[in-house]
Amino acid sequence: MSSFEDARIVDEIIKKNEKSSLIVILQEVQSRYNYLPEQVLTLLSERLGVPLIKVFSLATFYRSFSLKPRGKNVIKVCLGTACHVKSGSNLLEKAKRDLNLSEEEVTTRDLGFTVEKVRCLGCCSLAPVVRINEDTYGSMTQGRLSKVLKNYL
Amino acid sequence: MVKLTIDNQTVEVPEGTTILEAAEKLNIYIPTLCHHESLTPYGGCRLCVVEVTQNGVTDLTSSCTYKVEEGLKVKTTTERVKRVRRLVLELLLVESPEAQIVQDLAMEMGVRRPERLKPRKDDLCILCGRCIRACREVVGVNAIDFAERGYSKKVAAPFYKSSPDCIACGVCFYICPTGAITMREVEKGEKARIPEGEEVTGPARIIYNWKVGLAMKRCKKCGEIIAPEFQLEYLRKKVNLPEDHFDICPSCRE
Amino acid sequence: MSSLKDLERLKAEGMNSLFPSKTKIMVGMATCGLAAGAQEVWQNLHQEVKKRKIDVLVKKTGCIGLCQHEPLVDILKPGYPRITYDRMTPEKVGEVLDDLVKGKFKKAIMARIDQEEFLLDDTRTRYSKGKIPAYITSILPYKRLPFYKKQKRVALRNCGFLDPESIAEYVAKGGYFSLVQVLRGGKPEKVISQIKRSKLRGRGGAGFLAGVKWEVCRNADGDGKYLICNADEGDPGAYMDRSILEGDPHSIIEGMLIGGFAIGADQGYIYVREEYPLAIERLQIALTQAQEEDLLGKNILDSGFDFEIEICRGAGAFVCGEETALIQSIEGNWGEPKPRPPFPAVSGLWGKPTVINNVETWANIPVIIAKGAHWFNGLGTSRSKGTKVFSLVGKVNNIGLVEVPMGISLREIVYEIGGGIPNGRKFKAIQTGGPSGGCIPKNLIDLPVDFDELKKAGSIMGSGGMIVMDDRTCMVDVAKYFLSFLEDESCGKCVPCRVGIRRMREMLEDITSGRGREEDIDYLQQMAEAVKEGSLCGLGKTAPNPVLTTLHYFRDEYEAHIRGKRCPAGVCKPLIIYSIDPENCTGCGVCLRVCPQGAISGRKKKPHKIIPSKCIKCGACFEVCTFGAIIIT
Repeated sequence: MSSFEDARIVDEIIKKNEKSSLIVILQEVQSRYNYLPEQVLTLLSERLGVPLIKVFSLATFYRSFSLKPRGKNVIKVCLGTACHVKSGSNLLEKAKRDLNLSEEEVTTRDLGFTVEKVRCLGCCSLAPVVRINEDTYGSMTQGRLSKVLKNYL
Repeated sequence: MVKLTIDNQTVEVPEGTTILEAAEKLNIYIPTLCHHESLTPYGGCRLCVVEVTQNGVTDLTSSCTYKVEEGLKVKTTTERVKRVRRLVLELLLVESPEAQIVQDLAMEMGVRRPERLKPRKDDLCILCGRCIRACREVVGVNAIDFAERGYSKKVAAPFYKSSPDCIACGVCFYICPTGAITMREVEKGEKARIPEGEEVTGPARIIYNWKVGLAMKRCKKCGEIIAPEFQLEYLRKKVNLPEDHFDICPSCRE
Repeated sequence: MSSLKDLERLKAEGMNSLFPSKTKIMVGMATCGLAAGAQEVWQNLHQEVKKRKIDVLVKKTGCIGLCQHEPLVDILKPGYPRITYDRMTPEKVGEVLDDLVKGKFKKAIMARIDQEEFLLDDTRTRYSKGKIPAYITSILPYKRLPFYKKQKRVALRNCGFLDPESIAEYVAKGGYFSLVQVLRGGKPEKVISQIKRSKLRGRGGAGFLAGVKWEVCRNADGDGKYLICNADEGDPGAYMDRSILEGDPHSIIEGMLIGGFAIGADQGYIYVREEYPLAIERLQIALTQAQEEDLLGKNILDSGFDFEIEICRGAGAFVCGEETALIQSIEGNWGEPKPRPPFPAVSGLWGKPTVINNVETWANIPVIIAKGAHWFNGLGTSRSKGTKVFSLVGKVNNIGLVEVPMGISLREIVYEIGGGIPNGRKFKAIQTGGPSGGCIPKNLIDLPVDFDELKKAGSIMGSGGMIVMDDRTCMVDVAKYFLSFLEDESCGKCVPCRVGIRRMREMLEDITSGRGREEDIDYLQQMAEAVKEGSLCGLGKTAPNPVLTTLHYFRDEYEAHIRGKRCPAGVCKPLIIYSIDPENCTGCGVCLRVCPQGAISGRKKKPHKIIPSKCIKCGACFEVCTFGAIIIT
């Protein structure tokens, strides 16, 4: 994206959210770009007259924000208590294995998938639960997870 | 005026005074770390905790943040208080074992570094936030702030790169209680490298933590540092001042 | 401008919708339902209805509580009781419709409901007229199902009984008439007095008397007061608030309107965590509907009362459930808690007096107004009035949402409502209050559930999460799990929480990996107590509770890990070994094929073997073996 495009989008977002807090604006940026690019945050800081460090500080405090590009498909493996007790962490490891991600990596190189852990999605009755983009899957098993992932390729 | 008792001694202070300030009036010592008289109270280190009783309810609270109330009863060295202070110092000793001020405070209270916990290496920062508050409140620049949260919390410049707003005034360096900030004055003609950046030629000041190195303008008369050159140039051009306007520092001008 | 006539109009509309002249089919479309596959059932249902050209209404409904049996599909044929099919699949939909057309109902029905209950005005309306066919009376009514027998649904009164996207149905069930009553009365002090007399305690965790909070706020100085609904339900294992927001969003709006009037606020905020997208969507629809009916905005019901509600989305920070951090977040800052005093009721959002209450608390308000404080006092115990919604999850047969009067025992909840422990395993503990709570052991199972009793046992009521644990749950692992959670969520401001929790978790890592030392138990105890005292906010102050309760009640497990270097429950990976029981193994080879490390070897039809050095204990083999041949020791 060129810096002209970025500037246009930033101005649009700011205009639409004139009275909203910085967090809301960051949420809008994240939904447009799928993450928070450095150059966009810098533009935001200039346009809003907010110190850049404040923008950066907020972006790193709240976990729903990502400063690194995320995959087209975001896999959220729930590790809430009910899911943990039903071996949810095994599901997380399975997802990483299937996507060839090391322990520290969260996004596949081709930016196809990002694997995140989340606590909790509120579907405890169907633990363990995995959410991929907008779809929530209950009673997930390792075998089913591999099959479901193929639908998103 | 508000009347309260601290360690069974009564004191009367204006409304809005904190327990810490009131205790000072009575010459009662309460240890602090994240507190500084020229900054707004933070209440993060928990070293200054005291026991307060009001309306029959007793609780522990940081004395630097709690504003006095009429009839408040404060105790500064109960067992509960000591337990918390010991915990704070033990934990800080493991986190920043080389911090002198932590060692001194620990010695004062008879606290030793717990062997059971693995010490953290090479990090003097205790996250007291004094540098951030000083930058924001005293200098008004907002160059640094906290990033991340929880155990990974750190004091940082945007994107961990060179801070675009830092003016190398050095207040953070002076106000840091543990010496976690490294600052270097580069002499005239001397060359030094900014971390992850270019070389600067003195007179300049490098603050390593924020990866900032700025050429400083020195007063032609007394030699004291006035401010970073680029800021003065910007101001000078903006307000259309003569070229040699900032050559003499404000005190020398008088 | 809205008037009583408009509400009556909506009520009539809603009644027609609740008791339609055509057959109505309701699909449970809350997040649990969707996670179980309700979306496909919904789509198939529409298709199959179109194919058969039948004239039926198809509507969404919220969660009726028996979440494990989702997807739930209810059929309300005029003149017949409402019947519920559970575990519906897209394939079965066609058969059900065929039977419906023929006038019969398939046998695989879970339960029936004979009448629509109207809690707010104490009436009930039967669905059926005249004699009910035998094959329907043979189906158990909901109220007789063990899961529902002891429940009393007050906050959940409408969930599963109305279409959450219909304001008309909400009004038909008595909704917004409490608001009318309050505005008609015209005296905010009277409302506060009623809430005080009800002794309603906050349902978010702290259990503070709501009426007292409201009164403090009303009397505080400040031009411009605020109301906040805390919908940042972050406790893992708790989803009561989600269900109320998705199943009955108008109850929150009405509750807040009443609260706003009482304290003198004209602006309210609902702070919802972003992990609940459906709740946010339903709330937005409800807000728009309320605005269209002029129940929000200026001069509501011609009373001179103005009120607006805005939704704020969380951004992934559990600590923002703490009221001062929540306020910071709405203001656009870091979610860093502030020391109290000053309390938000005196100085909160933007420095103005602010009342923050939890979703469930707000949901109770219209009921208390309609039925009176005396009625509410009739439920519960002497110091914990009313009912509480709990999410009963974990190792229990009937997993779901339950609402019970305070004072019911844990035994009744686990064994009667919950149906006991599945797979023939034994009850070990029940964890209440989420990460701020504690684990309650078997010998305390007759404890009445009430704010003070739970606190005495070392736990807390919390927001209502109840996690049942069996003998295959490792209590040391549970303590470690909660500490990891809180370590991740700590804001990092104060030393005891930021460093203390991390260091305690590290010690638990040691213990669960066989590196624990004899002194660890006492050291953990000491550190936990000091962190509890020294932390700045509720997160840090309650973080040690899981550690403290497990140390207190399950010390033997800690000792087994430290001295014996074993995990009695078979959970802690470094201390367990996966092996194959040659007696049960049929040599089918399924495990061999799924093992990601190639750690299983064996010939066809002969017992297989796991190579310990290659095994990463991922559990894939355990998942697929149908002969119970995989053993974890």
